[in-house]
Amino acid sequence: MADSDHEYSNHSDEDDAGALGGGGRSLASRPKERAQARWEETVNRNWELQEGADGSIEGVLGGLEEASKRKRLLKDTTPLQRGIIRHTLLVLDQSDAMNEKDLRPTRHLLTINYAIMFVREFFEQNPISQLGILGMREGLAKRLSDMSGNPNDHITALKAARATEPKGNPSLQNALDMARAALHHTPSHGTREVVIVLGALLTSDPGDIHDTIKACIRDKIRVRIIGLAAQMHICAEICRKTNAGDETAYNVAVDEVDYKQQLMSITTPPVLRATDTEAQKQNQAALLMMGFPSRIAEERPTLCACHGNLTRGGYLCSRCKAKVCNLPATCPTCDLTLILSTHLARSYHHLFPLKNWVEVPWSRAQKKGSVQCFGCLSAFPAVPGEYQMANRSENGPANARTKRAEGASESSRYECETCGEHFCIDCDVFSHEVVHNCPGCQSRAHPDVAEMPNGG
Amino acid sequence: MDMNTTTSNKYLFAYVDSGQSVKGKMNAVDATDRAATQQEVEAPSLLTIILDTNPHAWALLADTLPLSKGVANLLVFINAHLSINYANRVAVLASHSERAEWLYPTPAVHNNNEDSNGSSAAVQPPDDANKYRPFAQLEYALLTNLQTLLHTTTPAAISSSPSTLLAGALTRALTYISKQSLSTGPSQTGNTSFNYSDPSSVAGGNSLNPSDDATTSRSNQRLTTRILILSVSGDLSSSYIELMNTIFACQRLSIPLDILKLAGSATFLQQAADTTGGIYLSLTTPVQRAGLLQYLMFAYLPDPAARENLVMPGETEGVDFRAACFCHKRVVDVGWDLSIVWESFDDGELWEEACGCCEGEEGEDGGEEEEGWGWRGGDAGE
Repeated sequence: MADSDHEYSNHSDEDDAGALGGGGRSLASRPKERAQARWEETVNRNWELQEGADGSIEGVLGGLEEASKRKRLLKDTTPLQRGIIRHTLLVLDQSDAMNEKDLRPTRHLLTINYAIMFVREFFEQNPISQLGILGMREGLAKRLSDMSGNPNDHITALKAARATEPKGNPSLQNALDMARAALHHTPSHGTREVVIVLGALLTSDPGDIHDTIKACIRDKIRVRIIGLAAQMHICAEICRKTNAGDETAYNVAVDEVDYKQQLMSITTPPVLRATDTEAQKQNQAALLMMGFPSRIAEERPTLCACHGNLTRGGYLCSRCKAKVCNLPATCPTCDLTLILSTHLARSYHHLFPLKNWVEVPWSRAQKKGSVQCFGCLSAFPAVPGEYQMANRSENGPANARTKRAEGASESSRYECETCGEHFCIDCDVFSHEVVHNCPGCQSRAHPDVAEMPNGG
Repeated sequence: MDMNTTTSNKYLFAYVDSGQSVKGKMNAVDATDRAATQQEVEAPSLLTIILDTNPHAWALLADTLPLSKGVANLLVFINAHLSINYANRVAVLASHSERAEWLYPTPAVHNNNEDSNGSSAAVQPPDDANKYRPFAQLEYALLTNLQTLLHTTTPAAISSSPSTLLAGALTRALTYISKQSLSTGPSQTGNTSFNYSDPSSVAGGNSLNPSDDATTSRSNQRLTTRILILSVSGDLSSSYIELMNTIFACQRLSIPLDILKLAGSATFLQQAADTTGGIYLSLTTPVQRAGLLQYLMFAYLPDPAARENLVMPGETEGVDFRAACFCHKRVVDVGWDLSIVWESFDDGELWEEACGCCEGEEGEDGGEEEEGWGWRGGDAGE
């Protein structure tokens, strides 16, 4: 949401003081036919629904539901380089502005709830990464939890943070400086990210924040900000400069759903830019040695190397045979990173993203003759009468049918272009978001094998 | 045939639902709270069975455990599962060498012709007064579909691959389970049901207070699901990524993956059972295979809720968690990983983990290696 109003698109970045008197910029009047601002296009206009040919709006409503389910699916599925070893700092705003009740129950409580979900999802998607949490309160940056790979530490700290009342003003500079210090010792083969949730419309800093921004750029820290109130120029500048000109790193949440969606989208491993890979090649920090221990079960309890507790099972380090309790871990004896191959495998679906499925028009549904979803065996709506006839003209009843909402298929079928099977909307969402496999492609070793007579 | 069986299943559910609305009305009549008594009704359970019908592997087992005997034992097990709770359901998939097909419920026929009305040939089992009707229908459908599957297998299909399409069968099972969970679970606040639009939702609730879900009376109407895999094939590494995707999906949805191995090496199925909280058992000797039904009943009949109160087999063994190298597919316990996940267009090949054997050949600065280990990294001590 970079430009909410097209009038301000020419606002210059470096010229803070002199912008007000800038020539050629009309302040008060808008042109007669003003173009719709970008945010207005996404507003849901329920009163403009069109009725179908038979007077019912059921077709349009069903289409709206399917379209909203699919909206999140239609994203770019190009395989790109992504960093899977992430060192991320989550900075939460604990200033006065977070007591506002525009997000239920208050901004602060909702942020804590979403942060707990974020922590769980982050460690599920990025098992070998590390996370730390900071808070901005009364002009200072406070450490809520240290950088670690254990989600329970963070969740405990967040639950304790619910009790502290938000107070004072936030300070972006202090938060960024503390983040820089925490990320200073992280190895260069991982990504360094800071995610800031800012509800206030100001930042009270002890010095010049531009120096901090320059230091962040030098340290290769990428900052993303989620605003809760309105767009701020300094936030946009921080995000743009640390992300090499990428405007999409700064977003303002419009409601709870949007806020959660933006926060959860950060759990996806970030795309590496060309500058990162150049730096990596220079560092030659490309390959890391890791151990894949097996679990053992012992007859008699022995001491574990990580806590010193007596346990009857655990994982033996592949190099030095020290016993650790949980994975992922770093061996306390020889510093070898120990992980399960399943932890790495969680990132594979980014490597081979599932292609989007296309909507199926009635003509194709008629040709293929699918009566039930390939994945879940639920029935599709039957092909309507006018399509049953062999010679079908393009005009006539076909066009009188109301177009369903954008993104929804008129026949409720969605086709995978590789295997040609038809699926329902629920299987579409499920396959793309949870399983990342196409049931049709996986169930056929060679797509030209003749199908079974019972249409399986 | 399929219409009848699905109708009978839906009928069983309709019985449960209408019972509740009657109870609701009765509350007003005599002022007792009948909602409290609903807690004792057990949750219906959907058992999805994936039968590995790899012809190569079953041919090797033919003298100790032929496929017909295995299927007969499986049918007894299915009948036992259906008998435990009248609302229990079952679904069976076959994972064959070149396709994964439904054995039960029978899928409908595609209507490619304009004159057919799309219904499959409704075949009924022969009327037998001594056989419980749902059992008879299920057995008939399963055996008919299995026979069709085997008869339509071409020699080319068999010779194309020695392995089986387990990932495909698992994916189809998962989509079916997700749809069944959606249609039977009431969608209220969405707190305890899985919400697909929400990337962070976890089955069992998004609520941060874990005691919220345990006491709601809705929990006994939720469908509990589990998957049982009867596996005979050995090497599954050709579809490793797809298989891991399905395993993570099961983990996310809290669906236990139980695995009974009749033949073949364990590869990654042991990890799968361990990650999802399922039971892994391997039958290696003919004596053990002869006791197939006993193993099925003992280990795999109790649902996850009952398993908490029972001592289950397979928990005390260690699990082999080693990984496979991407380039040579060898199992390794120490390897080299890329810190990023990427697709390389320069080298023309795709690699993420490298075992020690090929490490020396791939780097552009291979001459800098020491002692043959050659692990690179700016912060080697990290």
